[in-house]
Amino acid sequence: MTSTPVQERVKAPLIPPSTHRYADVIHRLEAGGSMLPDTPENLQQIIGIYKAYAVPMDFYWRDLLYIAERVFLNPLPAFKYFISKEYLDRPNSYSGDQSKLRIWRGTEKAHPELLEFMERGETSRMPKLLHHLWHDRVNMEFAEACMQAMLWHQGMGGRFNDYLESDAYKAYADRAIKAYFKGNPLMLGLYALFPEMFLEQVRQLSYYANLGLFWEVMAPVFFEMSDIYDEGGFKGVPDAMDFLVNGIFAVAGRPIYHHLYIGDECYEIIPKSEGFTWLYEAALPYVEAVFYRTSPFRGTKSYNAQAHQVPADQADFHYGILYADVYPVGSAGIPPTLLMQDMLHFLPPYLKDLYKQHRRGEEDELVQLGITFQRSMYNVTSAVIQALRCALLYPLDDTDPEHLKANRQFFEAQMDRFLRPEARLPDIQTQDYR
Amino acid sequence: MASILETAASVGVFNTLLAAVDAAGLRGALEGPGPFTVFAPVDDAFAALPPGTVQTLVDNPPQLARILKFHVVSGALSREQLVAQEAWESLEGAPIPIRRSEPFEVKNATVVTADVVCDNGVVHVIDRVILPG
Repeated sequence: MTSTPVQERVKAPLIPPSTHRYADVIHRLEAGGSMLPDTPENLQQIIGIYKAYAVPMDFYWRDLLYIAERVFLNPLPAFKYFISKEYLDRPNSYSGDQSKLRIWRGTEKAHPELLEFMERGETSRMPKLLHHLWHDRVNMEFAEACMQAMLWHQGMGGRFNDYLESDAYKAYADRAIKAYFKGNPLMLGLYALFPEMFLEQVRQLSYYANLGLFWEVMAPVFFEMSDIYDEGGFKGVPDAMDFLVNGIFAVAGRPIYHHLYIGDECYEIIPKSEGFTWLYEAALPYVEAVFYRTSPFRGTKSYNAQAHQVPADQADFHYGILYADVYPVGSAGIPPTLLMQDMLHFLPPYLKDLYKQHRRGEEDELVQLGITFQRSMYNVTSAVIQALRCALLYPLDDTDPEHLKANRQFFEAQMDRFLRPEARLPDIQTQDYR
Repeated sequence: MASILETAASVGVFNTLLAAVDAAGLRGALEGPGPFTVFAPVDDAFAALPPGTVQTLVDNPPQLARILKFHVVSGALSREQLVAQEAWESLEGAPIPIRRSEPFEVKNATVVTADVVCDNGVVHVIDRVILPG
């Protein structure tokens, strides 16, 4: 008896497989997946850390805008982290009943867990000043380090940075500086002597506004993802990534601007009418500056620039979370550790339980959560890559081989950035990396 | 002969585009003598964008205008002229690449109808909204 041949049901691929070192990851991206493998534990880890990240982020964006719009050029900004009630209650544009585009179902004001932490910290209820001096508070220094990375790297796409050098910007900034120091001959005199120094400070404040407006979106996105997960709503990592992709598109056109308020009077420094958008002028430069580049952190490792241990070209900097060796980063005072410390306060119980089961349990929670954060940011980066592919290239189910080749080329170019030995892409492919 | 906007209105598949032109305050400019080359996405192209994308833009006219200006090139350019050059500078400032001549593809959109000649320019109908970058 002869067996009937099984009819070939699987369609032949329209283009040959990739031969890239990360071909598996590229094929996963082409199938609509993420750089992070789709496992239940990865999903749990990334959603848990998004929640833990969103709570301090709810402080970061509010305080960044408070500094950009109110503290402004205060020569002694000792109280810039003492955010005003107005900014703590400032309605988030993407949560609460008042929001036009509601992303998170929760409150528009500061998150209740944040308010509770600000009240008690790790220690106990005491005056705000003591919490501050004891450093028992949200580490705003992390947010400022991200802002400085954006300011310092510059030229990462979008038109924001070019605008900061334009005559229009200089005129707006000049008006704002003169209004802010009205009746202060000392500061106005210094401004007359060193105008560029003041202008550069205003440029930095414009980046405070930029990052604040960027994170105002991300906090409710992460809160909503956590709520959806708690309801059993995400089936896997690709679902979580797709939620981010849709979010990126939904808010892509949000204006990025910088306003200064003196009393009730508003001084436009970057008007909304310039047409700057959340996607081009904030999100993409942020991902480039913070996820990929940043700069070597002081106190972690010595670099010998003459031995080319620090790239000559800023575009080749690779000190962001996607390349970080989380273990030595876990020292006091350096930006990623500050963030880890902030997230530690708001971990959901299921992540705490997970960390207890692995490595040194609670002893190395900071390192474990740092690696979880790394996984979660590979997923966010995947969402950005998929969103760019969607915006600039072709659908994944396109049937034109030329289009699929263009998609392939794009994915391969993105993966080329992870060929350097510091990249953690190979590590996050397994669950053992903790 | 009708103007670009009159032609678009008469076809009935550019309702979102026309509403967006009004929301962005670009009607006056596009009714001017031009001439312009407009890559006009059909309604289905806008509908294919993830939910909320168009609404956020409509709520923010300067940002919407920026995206719409990326669909316009100065001068009346036919398909034949367009494919002779790799990219054309849009009114937004970013270049619009011409990726293929057959089928005629502008950035990641396919031109479904080319060379609709109007009073103040030429319209090429595209199947996707194109974005700078």
